[in-house]
Amino acid sequence: MSLLATEQETVVPSPGPRPPAPGPAAAARRLPAWVRAETLFMGGATLLMAVLVLLPVGMLLFTSIRIEEFGEASYFSLKNYTEFVVSPRILRSIGNTLLVSTGATLVAALFGISLAWIHARTNTPGRRLLEVFTLIPFFLSPYVGAIAWSYLAAPRVGMLNGVLRGLLGLPGDPLSVYNRWGIIWVLALFFTPVMYLFVIGSLRRMDPALEESARTSGSSLLRTTLRITLPLVTPSILSGAILVFVSCAGEFGVPLALGSPFKIETMTTQIYNLTGGSNIDYNASAALSMVLAALTLTFVFIHRKIILPRGYTTVTGKGYRPNVINLGRWRYAALAFNCLYLLMAVVLPLLALLLVSISVRWEGRFDTGALTLANYTYVFTYPLSARALWNSLKLAVAGATLCMALTMLVAYTIHRGRGRARGLVDLISSVPVGFPGIVLAMGILITYIRTPLYSTLWILLVGYITRYMPYGQRMISSVLLSLSAELDQSSRTAGASWATTLRRITLPLLKPGIVAGWLLLFVIFLREFPISALLYKGGLEVLSVAVWYFVEHETAVRTAAVAMVQVGLLLVAIFLFRRLAGTDELTV
Amino acid sequence: MADYLRVEGLRKAFGREAAVDGISFGVEKGKILTLLGPSGCGKTTTLRCIAGLEHPDAGTISLEGEAVTSVADGILTPPERRNIGMVFQSYAVWPHMTVAQNVAYPLEVRKWPRREIAGRVDEVLELVGLARFRDQYATRLSGGQQQRVALARAMIYNPRLLLFDEPLSNLDAKLREQLRAEIVRLQREVGITSIYVTHDQAEAMVISDQIIVMNRGRIEQQGDARTIYSRPANRFVAEFIGLANLLPGQVVAPAGPDGLLRAEVSLGGAQRAGVRALLAGGGAAVGQRVLISVRPEDVELGPPGAGAGEHNRLEGAVASAVYMGNYVDYQVQVGEARIRVQAKPTTLYRDGERVALSVRPEACVCIPGASEEG
Repeated sequence: MSLLATEQETVVPSPGPRPPAPGPAAAARRLPAWVRAETLFMGGATLLMAVLVLLPVGMLLFTSIRIEEFGEASYFSLKNYTEFVVSPRILRSIGNTLLVSTGATLVAALFGISLAWIHARTNTPGRRLLEVFTLIPFFLSPYVGAIAWSYLAAPRVGMLNGVLRGLLGLPGDPLSVYNRWGIIWVLALFFTPVMYLFVIGSLRRMDPALEESARTSGSSLLRTTLRITLPLVTPSILSGAILVFVSCAGEFGVPLALGSPFKIETMTTQIYNLTGGSNIDYNASAALSMVLAALTLTFVFIHRKIILPRGYTTVTGKGYRPNVINLGRWRYAALAFNCLYLLMAVVLPLLALLLVSISVRWEGRFDTGALTLANYTYVFTYPLSARALWNSLKLAVAGATLCMALTMLVAYTIHRGRGRARGLVDLISSVPVGFPGIVLAMGILITYIRTPLYSTLWILLVGYITRYMPYGQRMISSVLLSLSAELDQSSRTAGASWATTLRRITLPLLKPGIVAGWLLLFVIFLREFPISALLYKGGLEVLSVAVWYFVEHETAVRTAAVAMVQVGLLLVAIFLFRRLAGTDELTV
Repeated sequence: MADYLRVEGLRKAFGREAAVDGISFGVEKGKILTLLGPSGCGKTTTLRCIAGLEHPDAGTISLEGEAVTSVADGILTPPERRNIGMVFQSYAVWPHMTVAQNVAYPLEVRKWPRREIAGRVDEVLELVGLARFRDQYATRLSGGQQQRVALARAMIYNPRLLLFDEPLSNLDAKLREQLRAEIVRLQREVGITSIYVTHDQAEAMVISDQIIVMNRGRIEQQGDARTIYSRPANRFVAEFIGLANLLPGQVVAPAGPDGLLRAEVSLGGAQRAGVRALLAGGGAAVGQRVLISVRPEDVELGPPGAGAGEHNRLEGAVASAVYMGNYVDYQVQVGEARIRVQAKPTTLYRDGERVALSVRPEACVCIPGASEEG
């Protein structure tokens, strides 16, 4: 006890050498109280985030109300809205967007709700394994999915058409994906996991006692499911449906692959069409972008302000005790239903891509006698695709890293800062969620076209980070919310500076969120299409753009090979994500 | 102004609500001061201002005569440069570190040599009885053990000041009692000046040299445990600390040299009774409205009629009697007032039985009446 001061001593003796205590007051007097490393870093990150988000949105609005006609001074008017947007061609594309998004949402809801219920509440065999596979489409590129489905169900050369003709003796082409139904089908398959994640999360968090008390009060199983379970998950179903609708309305690759070549345009493809070619008109494109953003923002607003506050808090601290329903013989029907979904969304598309990519040529039938790896050799040696692979990897690594660094500081500002504007920061940081990729890309194009960023990979990087910051931030925020602020504060009172606390306490504690967020962004950036499509220039191609180029200029077999390269990379990333992060983190 | 820690005119508002509304107090070296009050009274905000975790709107805080916070002079020493230790309600034990790593951390950031850190960590872990958990991850431990880790971590570097923010409120009753005795022992042994925040009056009584009772951002009373309990300065303190019967009355004769004044309490309607009561603080002019505070355990019960006509004597009927083992809890109806009495179970009175109540004048404390309160 010799090291501890006794009451008689006036000075606390310290064992061993101890650096002289810095004169706190003297150090603090030199600068105003707010000039600190923490204030500068957090304030700087917040400001950067706000500029990144607000600048393109502001520029988009500004451009949409400006009229620039050749040889005339530009002026402001709502003409782009009152004349252009209401023209029959554009109205038709708006109608198409609403139609395919609604259709896809309904089909995805059917799949997603039933699969979630099967996995969380029934004794269907193999449901743990099925769960893993059901999430795969979440990580894959819908654009590549659309191309794969065109190998399966295109008129004439579609594999399934061939099978149906041969087996069932159906004449002509029973299936075609090159229409609105095809777009709905592919969108639904790829956005089912979003719906599924919302519903299964809600089912798992639900207190089993809610259902058990219905049973003990005399309600049958079916009645309990319909009267208790379903109403309790309804808010989550609505949330999921809104997110699916908004994602479908903003989806660019699927309508580009299945609709555009056959004059079926949606809002996203029209926005793109107006940025090049013969009818180039940035102002009109900006106006249409604003209309699409208004549509998606309305839904996001409804979700945040009306549905989220009505969600039932059924969370208990007890952890998950599933009460599994015995389906009897019907469990095999449930299994078959689940397998059918996996067949449509994962197995058939990937198999089709694989088979086409190793064929010498593609004419609708797989020829086991003519197999080759030459298509892959071509993809890796052809300058454009080799460059695209390299660019995608660079952008994914740099983008995920920078994005996580930025969002970590912003999330920290929102949840741990002391500023009054924290609510506003939170609002601004979630704005990109309401903007489809192509719309935000339009704003970014207008904003940075006259800066040195244009025609470099940097503009793609800025685009990726701006659009997907909210994803990284949700990951960090969910971890931050589960950690007491006192964990950081106790480090400060123990004598560690802000920087030391960040390095030794905050970052290690946030590691799960940082790793999960990084991997999710890595996956998203590897497959990113709409922003890249609008912002790339020759030399700046990325994987999705390379797939697109191959669709337009190369053979089907080579296109399948380049798509397979992207799919392969994504599958590796998914594997890592599952190993390191788990799936609870996916609902953004 | 010889206080070791001095807080002067401290004010902190969240939005429009003033959490701390211009309070001043001091602590002597080596003493332990408790900030006691209901939730939302500003005690934790005060503590966090002292730690430097909260930035006050006005006021100064000085430690060993040197300002660490002074809003007027723009001084705001960050928490890590105040050389203080803090124990949090949530323990705040770092889950990614072992017990030893948690406790060693403050020494590491102070750049102690490695060898000396190890020795010092062992010594402090021994002191809090956690030596055998040295290399376990801290979150595997029970709540009480985690709080010991937090305590060891906060005092390992002999800080100038030790701050406790409701450190025991997450523990169960038995553990709470055990750990609070231990905190007292350690504090006495090490002699670190401490400030302790709690809403639990028993905890405050056991732990403190001085108690400050806070309410709505202000100090209601400061003193040692005995003063606070037996001489409450106002209605809030009388009601917040222990149980009190508060009888409204009026001063009829000023206090004499013995500090006792005479008052008349009304028992509803026209019924009145003369009382001799102690004037706790401030002057009470004749005619002034006052409250007479009487603790239930200070009231003695006797058979009716005994000593009739004396001061501080009332008669009433037992309205309810609950046997509690070591005492009997009575409600006695006196006029329209109900008086709570906690009496030794030597004589038992039944419901409806008439009894005489008497209180020593020193146990009747005269505090400002309702109209005098702000």
